[in-house]
Amino acid sequence: MILAGALASAGLGELLGLPPVQRAGFALLLAAVGLPVVGVVIVGLDIMPVRFAMMHVALLGIAIGLLTGLDPMLCALVACALAGAGVAPLARTPDGLSGAMGLLMSLAIAAALLVLAVSGVNASGAFALLWGSILSVGTADLVVLGALAVLVPLLLWWRRREVALLLYDRELAQCSGVPVRALTAVLLVLVAVAVAGAIKLTGALLVDALTLLPALAARRLGTSLRSITLWAVGIGVAVNLTGFLVALRLDWPPGPVLVLTAGALVLAVHLVPERSISTWCAPASDSLPSSH
Amino acid sequence: MGGLDVRMRGVACRHGRVEAVADVDLEIAAGERVALTGTNGSGKTTLLRAVLGLHRQVSGSILVGGRGTGSAAEWAWRRRSCAWIPQKPAAGRFPLLGDELLASGGAPAEAAEAARELGVGTLLGRPLHTLSGGQLQRMYLARAIGAVAAGAEVLLADEPTAALDFGGQEEAADVLAALPVTLVVVTHDRALAQRCDRVLEMAAGRLREVA
Repeated sequence: MILAGALASAGLGELLGLPPVQRAGFALLLAAVGLPVVGVVIVGLDIMPVRFAMMHVALLGIAIGLLTGLDPMLCALVACALAGAGVAPLARTPDGLSGAMGLLMSLAIAAALLVLAVSGVNASGAFALLWGSILSVGTADLVVLGALAVLVPLLLWWRRREVALLLYDRELAQCSGVPVRALTAVLLVLVAVAVAGAIKLTGALLVDALTLLPALAARRLGTSLRSITLWAVGIGVAVNLTGFLVALRLDWPPGPVLVLTAGALVLAVHLVPERSISTWCAPASDSLPSSH
Repeated sequence: MGGLDVRMRGVACRHGRVEAVADVDLEIAAGERVALTGTNGSGKTTLLRAVLGLHRQVSGSILVGGRGTGSAAEWAWRRRSCAWIPQKPAAGRFPLLGDELLASGGAPAEAAEAARELGVGTLLGRPLHTLSGGQLQRMYLARAIGAVAAGAEVLLADEPTAALDFGGQEEAADVLAALPVTLVVVTHDRALAQRCDRVLEMAAGRLREVA
């Protein structure tokens, strides 16, 4: 409330001097490095509904936490990690994973509601634990975002060949000596934990702006795992900083402004004709006409 | 002539309730070139995929170089020793560059050299989904040649010339037949079948010798 009052009366310069605003800006910058890379994996594995699935799995984790007296957020993260590892075997068929996400979502919400009803905990109270806000991030949250910003790009860089092959074609990867089962499981656990953590830190709406939307725009602009990842991080940083400053300047809530900024960029990128994109991105030596 | 022998005993493969391959016994000597022909849906592709463990419901025994596939390490060895050219190599879900595909065979330099000889050497920096069907098939052929350079001694090729023009089919057939490996090739291409030592025909999941 104090913060809202201060936001209403102060100019942009004064706002940027406020510690919560500085922390929020820093958190967004860290998130813009790690989360778009997670988004690239989500797009690559074709598991767009993962955010909805993880919201409900996290709710189940919170419900179990409230029932057993353990830390609810820790239970939520563990539940998401287990769910991620649990659906990994379904990646064998091409549509296995996206279907699995839908199934996971239904089963988790049903189980969560059952646990909440049995334990007598108020469901909306449990849901409230899930909704974070970028203006209320604490130091612990910054550490988590920082760890994601370092670990996620590092893992993808370390295993870039294997990941590129796996996202291109699972069977080809398998025949090229990639440990596809283990790698899929690691990627899914990473995605699940990152998405669940980000929901807590930034709110569910912002997670899409930070993960999926930069990756969707980058998928269109890049031509390889490497270039798509770099585009995603670049777009993530640009969108987050622009959106955050606009939100502060106009005194609007940051979440929707960031999502709309990222969404506008995705639309703009998709409206650009494909031919002009390939001319920007292709090295000069490769711009020979192909014999289609 | 290099190559490993391939022995199949009572191999059967199912797709759910459908029996795609039934009771196949096949002995292929080291370095032999075998063409598998037959109508669409007769089980050729499934049989090839079973050798690589890409088909799940398989019974019977398949030995390559006398080795089975009891453990993960044995599967890894099998996939290293058997190069694969998939059927209708479709561009995948996510972009991959030509040189990344070639490197996945295990010998990037040799594969790139093969790509140059096959006329697709200028396409290595291009994402595979921007290539034509024939160009992509040449890329997969170059990858397989790289895999052979990296130590594979069996080549399982699934219609490796189907997307090529006539000149390309002759050229690819020459390249395939000259490789120092055991070659098992699914094909409807006469030029390629003529270069093989044996031609087998599959019908309704069963195998018989033609020539």
